[in-house]
Amino acid sequence: MIQLENITKKFKTKKGIVKAVDGINLHVKKGEIHGVIGYSGAGKSTLIRCVNLLERPTTGKVLIDNVDITSLSLNDLRKTRQKIGMIFQHFNLLKTATVYNNIAIPLKLLGYNDSEVKNRVAKYAEIVGLTEKLDSYPSQLSGGQKQRVAIARALAQEPEILLSDEATSALDPETTEAILELLLKINRELGITILLITHEMNVIQKICDEVSVLESGKVVEYGSAIELFSKPQHPTTRKFLNTISQRNLSPSLIKQLNVSGSVIRLTFLGESTGKPLLAEVSKVYDVQPNILTANIIELKNGIVGNIVVHLHGKAHIVEKALKYFTENGVSVEELGGELNE
Amino acid sequence: MNSIQSFFTDWSDVIGKSIIETFQMVGISLFFSILIGIPLGLLIVLTRPGQSFENKFLYQFFNLFINIIRSVPFIILLFFILPFTKIIVGTTIGVKGVIVPLVVYTAPYIARLMETALLEVDPGVVEAYTAMGIKRRHIIWNVLLREARPSIILGLTIATIGLIGATAMAGMVGAGGLGDLAYRYGHLRYEVDLMYATVFILIILVQIIQSIGNRFAAKLKKD
Repeated sequence: MIQLENITKKFKTKKGIVKAVDGINLHVKKGEIHGVIGYSGAGKSTLIRCVNLLERPTTGKVLIDNVDITSLSLNDLRKTRQKIGMIFQHFNLLKTATVYNNIAIPLKLLGYNDSEVKNRVAKYAEIVGLTEKLDSYPSQLSGGQKQRVAIARALAQEPEILLSDEATSALDPETTEAILELLLKINRELGITILLITHEMNVIQKICDEVSVLESGKVVEYGSAIELFSKPQHPTTRKFLNTISQRNLSPSLIKQLNVSGSVIRLTFLGESTGKPLLAEVSKVYDVQPNILTANIIELKNGIVGNIVVHLHGKAHIVEKALKYFTENGVSVEELGGELNE
Repeated sequence: MNSIQSFFTDWSDVIGKSIIETFQMVGISLFFSILIGIPLGLLIVLTRPGQSFENKFLYQFFNLFINIIRSVPFIILLFFILPFTKIIVGTTIGVKGVIVPLVVYTAPYIARLMETALLEVDPGVVEAYTAMGIKRRHIIWNVLLREARPSIILGLTIATIGLIGATAMAGMVGAGGLGDLAYRYGHLRYEVDLMYATVFILIILVQIIQSIGNRFAAKLKKD
């Protein structure tokens, strides 16, 4: 659906040329929700703006449905843009227009007739849950409601793709939750492919199928949400994971505990999450597990559990116990001195 | 009471005529100033660096052009452009003769006020409409100008009041008006009553215009 090939974007600043996006390849398949996460300044905003050419990449191709849109005429580009909805961090609504008009004006400008405009406004206001607010002005709405208007405006053009530029970053946690639910509903019921950028790991956790981690304009890690949450490879990914679940203990604590056994992290995935493996292990082998911290993360397509456990016991028996975990589909990681993750 | 009555019987004709002249001058020159000023304002916003019709040359040119005209006091401008006035309307005196300098004076002022009003519009909304694949001219009309309406109206109110001030100097070319009345009769002939009356009318006029402008702007502004 969306294919970015070797996208580079350079900006000229007073300090010289800055590479905001540096050779990115990204493939978003039809019907999936793809999340790009990165810290501010990682280049994610520039990247998403390259998808509908709000920002023209310095080099590289942007393929939408296998058509390179960087070579389209302005007219054809406009047609393609109509298939790509976009929502923003600051909503970007007309202040001087009612909710109805905020949804209706773009439709009218795109040439839909009056009855079609009416039908669509009614339909999509209902989907986002704003039927009662059609006569209100944006200033009379809460942040979450404003974002709903923006979503309705984007949906009313019946796009195939929705780009979300930090759509929940200006909202409180509860509202964020509700908007994420709405995005999920849109994806499931209308089959709209979503590419979103965010700096919040919980956004990725709740709704994304695929994830790209961005740092200094480069994708440093890419994979399914389950892969990333269970086996994060890059330090930046791990840092992001630590923002939503405690995966580590302080090195000094680990050193202390390692004297009488070893501190390990067990990562449970899918089926293995349901098994009482810790209890079994202590029955079968002569080890005493002591749970230090544990959590379970519900992803869109599965569950990932983490337990950091201290196994008291003789070294060779502990080793057997670890093998038992691995055989049962649990990934095991020894926490020796992983410093500064 | 008698003195007020006799004041009106003596002067009502002259005052009435002056009011009509002022309205004529303000009305006609405001019309042409808006006709030139709003597109000019739009032009210097759209040709700005980073805007949709970025054009360094045009931007710098109009920017400088507006600044030059805005530097000249009206009383000087009035005489300075006499030959130009003569070419455009064929005369340099009377209401007709003063319209040209009034427009030349006011249009760039309106353009600057438009510029400020248009720059206040959230660029994010323009971006959102661009992302929707909407034509640029539609965006200019339905986003830029629409969202700027409250500020545009307040700007035009300011410009109108400025214009009334400028018409006072129109007497220099025999165009009449309230300002001229106050100056010729009130100041030169020292008819103090008449001067007070004229100033009073001007105050009322300005008040009315400002109130109308404020009300319209408030009605359009929704935040």
